[in-house]
Amino acid sequence: MSRRSHLLRYLGARLALAPLMLGLIASLVFLLLRVAPGDPIDALLGPKAPAAARAALRQQLGLDQPLLNQYGHFLSQLLHGDLGLSQNSQEPVLGIIRASLPASLELGVVALLLAAVLGLAVGFSGIARPEGKLDLAGRLFGIGTYALPPFWAAMVVQLVFAVWLGWLPVGGRFPPTLLPPQGSGFYLFDSLRAGNGQQFWGAVRHLVLPAATLGVLLSGIFTNALRLNLRRALGSDYVEAARSRGLSETRVVLRHALPNALLPVLTITGITVASLIGGALLIEVTYSWPGIAYRLQEAIAQRDYPLVQGIVVVVAGLVVLVTVAVDLLVAVLDPRIRF
Amino acid sequence: MLRIAGLTDLPGRLSQRCGPRLALLLTSLLLLPALSGCQPQRPEGVLIVATKSRLDSLDPAAASRMGIMQVLSALGDPLYAIAPDGRIEPRLATALPRLSADGRRARIPLRQGVLFHDGTRFDAEAMAFSLRRFMAIGTLGFQLSDRVRAVRVTGSHELELELKQPFSPLPRLLSAIFLTPVSPTAYRAYRDKPLADRFVGTGPYQLSFFSPQQQRLSPWPRYWGSRPRNGGLSLVTLSNSTALFGALRSGEVDLLLSSGLEIDHQRALHRDAQAGRLREAIGPALEIGFLSLLSDQPPLSSLLLRQAIAHSLDRRTLSERASLGIRVPLRQLVPPSMPGSAADLWPAYNPQRARQLFRQAGYCQGKRFSLPLTFRSDIPTDRLLALTWQAQLRRDLGDCISLEPTGMESTTAYDQLGKGALVMFFYDWSADYPDAENFLVPLLSCEQSRGNRCLKGNSALSGSFWSAPGLDAQLQQSSQLTGAPRLALLRAIQRRAAAANPYLPVWLTAPVAWARPQLSTPRFDGSGRVLLAELQRRGARKEARP
Repeated sequence: MSRRSHLLRYLGARLALAPLMLGLIASLVFLLLRVAPGDPIDALLGPKAPAAARAALRQQLGLDQPLLNQYGHFLSQLLHGDLGLSQNSQEPVLGIIRASLPASLELGVVALLLAAVLGLAVGFSGIARPEGKLDLAGRLFGIGTYALPPFWAAMVVQLVFAVWLGWLPVGGRFPPTLLPPQGSGFYLFDSLRAGNGQQFWGAVRHLVLPAATLGVLLSGIFTNALRLNLRRALGSDYVEAARSRGLSETRVVLRHALPNALLPVLTITGITVASLIGGALLIEVTYSWPGIAYRLQEAIAQRDYPLVQGIVVVVAGLVVLVTVAVDLLVAVLDPRIRF
Repeated sequence: MLRIAGLTDLPGRLSQRCGPRLALLLTSLLLLPALSGCQPQRPEGVLIVATKSRLDSLDPAAASRMGIMQVLSALGDPLYAIAPDGRIEPRLATALPRLSADGRRARIPLRQGVLFHDGTRFDAEAMAFSLRRFMAIGTLGFQLSDRVRAVRVTGSHELELELKQPFSPLPRLLSAIFLTPVSPTAYRAYRDKPLADRFVGTGPYQLSFFSPQQQRLSPWPRYWGSRPRNGGLSLVTLSNSTALFGALRSGEVDLLLSSGLEIDHQRALHRDAQAGRLREAIGPALEIGFLSLLSDQPPLSSLLLRQAIAHSLDRRTLSERASLGIRVPLRQLVPPSMPGSAADLWPAYNPQRARQLFRQAGYCQGKRFSLPLTFRSDIPTDRLLALTWQAQLRRDLGDCISLEPTGMESTTAYDQLGKGALVMFFYDWSADYPDAENFLVPLLSCEQSRGNRCLKGNSALSGSFWSAPGLDAQLQQSSQLTGAPRLALLRAIQRRAAAANPYLPVWLTAPVAWARPQLSTPRFDGSGRVLLAELQRRGARKEARP
């Protein structure tokens, strides 16, 4: 069987398993939410609403049904692509996710780009003199940014650049004096498409601090990954062979060692993207960034069962897609990979 | 040291090749401060108001939190309003309800010439539509449906409410902003379901943009009352106290509401206001912080112990340490600004008396009473209160009592509270409408009781499970009486509760608003909401006209 067929078979298997995995995740979340303490009625009405009002609301939300019925209803909705209504706002969960997800993706993509550029640049800068000052600084940078508590770092950055210096906004995604651009929900893209410079710069100003904070915090991963893999690659036989052919050192590094060292980094990027889709919670909360993680946190606090379930299913689906895509990309780039 | 041959000069060579790119990177870093100059121009007269409350819905039927009430007060009108001095003023009603002889029918004359934001006419049919809709699908629908049997239209601008029993605080209930009318035309398809992202009411502002984090309100040009003094409002949600505080300090927002702001930030803003750098307004204190004592089970089924705990509570120290003096020590369940309140009914701090009572209960002689206290772990001030009280008890009565604080997330704690799982719990309560009844009934009423034990009802849900013979009848009677007899009865009810100590009031929280110095000083109405339409930039010569 050709390599291409192997690849397609792998892709088919992963995609075929994905619904099963999503179903399992959804069922687990459904169960865990019901087992966890706390009642959505308390979250909605507070502790002192009369028993009759609580019972009426419970009935209205379908929470009076036996658990098995609720589960069956949830699965049936899920199979029809319907994630239900938020208990809190009675809005379709899919609509809420559609409104929040672009914010997280926009932040995640920009932060990831920053992290990759900064992290790879720092990681690369130390290779000239391993264990030299620059290399040591790169290592410290890698460990330091990775070890920094995100909420603390975000708060310090917020205080310095937004409150003390007043250069950038303290939070939010868009200037309150402007109306956000309509369209895909990706404000940078939408404002560019609309050709509205004011909207674009407004969106950029709000994006800078959260994306830079997240980018710097993530860059350490790239620094360490590149540094280690590049050092390993530079000591390998094919690099020695290239040198013995009389190629310049720059060419050896950039053409031979670096592409091989970047392959593991690509896998790390995939994992980071997957974790960013739902995982930039502390950054989103600190900067009031209306993303999916922030929404999930609120939904959990309010015991908004359908919203939590919906967000988890969608995020899990995206994570599956991203990891499959990265696996495929790595397989395409590296002929040694076999499935 | 390992050196890779030929690579030592690589950075130099790269810097030669990458020089322009590095320059670009440095330039982009320098652009950071330059971005501060890219701030969009503010539309003329538009004020930016920041709160922590995110709005998932603007439907009055879905309203249950203070954040949405504040926005609705700008977009809609209630039938009655509580003025800053506590008086009831007709708004969409033209006079107070006329009651039938048996007190079960209330006729309300309505204002003419009022238009909804969609241009349709406000009349009795529209008001009836809104009230019926609220009773059918409102999250707080029970507030009305527990009291009102039917809503009838008796004239083009006259409404009749048939009450289940006489209810004297009716005008105060009808002052609740969640009862604001909505246009039957706009809500025709939403008679039995909420409409989250639109609002079509009669208020001084109309909604021009809605997202959960941002709402834009523009003055409604055909408003029946006084036009707003500003050119519109942009309401923004910032998710944490530091961001809110920073946004006001940096001038990014014009007005900040205290809800969700941590105590140290509130104090810093208060100092700024004292120094003239901000304008501060304090509203009527309508939120009480209190301890609920599980009174139907040992150990707190012992009245002696409850009284001892009541005397051991040093409210002044707690207020100064945990709330930095911002919250006012409280020894009554009904806030002082409300008719029917009675000052200092609960036992005062008296460690000697507390020690005596603990001794009578068999403690202090080599035996310490271990008292579990649950506080809401997601509210920083609650944690401070618990730790301060623990230290205060250790100092004053260390040989008699030891407080064991445990944090629990709010929603989980509320669930456990009604199940009788929390021996003592600290939380707060703010009434849905400002009346003494709305502080006493949710804490003390009981549908089914045995002796002093409440088996089913609000008292059980509130975690005390305490009742007293005849107390429920008194509560019901209090909502039927008017004038001085009603106030006397409300005080008598509180005295009974104070003697039994199923709850210990701790402090009173007043809403605060801070405005930039360029703005007029904000004012609150009697329901604790900022009068947003009154805000204006100082020196603004005329009202904003769209």
